[in-house]
Amino acid sequence: MILAAAMSLEGFTGDREVARLRKGDPDAITDLVGRYQHRLFRFLVRLVGDPATAEDLFQQTWIRLMEKIGSYDARRSFEAWLFAIARNLAIDYLRRRRGISLDELDDSGHAPVERLVAARPDVLSQLLDFERGALLAAAIGELPAIHREVLTLRFEEDMKLEQIAEVAGVPLSTVKSRLHRALESLRTRIEASGKGIL
Amino acid sequence: MNEHESVRAMLALSAAVLLSPDEVRRVEEHVRTCELCRTDLETWSEYAQGLRKLPQPSAPAGLMERTRAKIVQEHAVAAGRRRHAWLLAALVVLGWTTSLIFWVVARALTGGVFTVMGVNLVDGVAWSLSSTVLAWTTAAAAAMMLGRNREMRRFL
Repeated sequence: MILAAAMSLEGFTGDREVARLRKGDPDAITDLVGRYQHRLFRFLVRLVGDPATAEDLFQQTWIRLMEKIGSYDARRSFEAWLFAIARNLAIDYLRRRRGISLDELDDSGHAPVERLVAARPDVLSQLLDFERGALLAAAIGELPAIHREVLTLRFEEDMKLEQIAEVAGVPLSTVKSRLHRALESLRTRIEASGKGIL
Repeated sequence: MNEHESVRAMLALSAAVLLSPDEVRRVEEHVRTCELCRTDLETWSEYAQGLRKLPQPSAPAGLMERTRAKIVQEHAVAAGRRRHAWLLAALVVLGWTTSLIFWVVARALTGGVFTVMGVNLVDGVAWSLSSTVLAWTTAAAAAMMLGRNREMRRFL
């Protein structure tokens, strides 16, 4: 289902829906929410680590988008704009919860593995993949939020450096160094746990 | 930093497909002859592959419908807030216009002098002050009544 949603996004710019939204067409928002629900929800779960909070932030993201639609610059990528709104709301939430800035945050909230759904053809490889995926997901959950953010945007959302920079509001060089540190940190944690992913 | 160390520092980003064509060529050339870096690159590739196949959090059932309902609700609240703001602005304009008209009429009827306890009430400053106090008192009373009405509707 997620793959189908991702495939239907190929070549999607959101221009038509944004134009419809500006005209006050209520069905436009339904189309957009439908298109992005899986990816946006996944991104928020990775950032805040809790599905209930992610759902709340998901709804707030669309409400904020409706409020700001008049100021949306059509030259920008709609996707990057949407994810940037979601990211900023998640940051605000994490700051309120922890009372510290995102850059300092070391969130130890685990991704709820029991709610995760894997889709693999072969049972044994499915089990192995699931175990490896669960291990990785748990290790990611222990990384600082800025690292979780770049990892999910790069590897799950398959965003280019420029798009990640736009979402995170930082220069390309910062994105690159954050990704490098995030990968190093992830590997160190997994190797320190003695489990390994190979 | 020698070539080995330099390439080794690029391996993680190589697995993330974030190197420039020039850097990719350097990595490829180096790992052809360096066993250590080749093994390390394979490990990074495993990590990258694993990250692309993470178990997916399932979007809760009815998320879209709940989101749409919330948007409609927020839209209605915002529209109500805008209506209230316009109403308030209209009331302010109406209040000041009425006050001005009454002032002109009062001055015409009294010849510009109507003294109570030594204060000329139809004087411009005195009239403005008394109108302002009266307007704010009325507005406060109206706001309290509206608030009580809303509480009661919520309760019912």
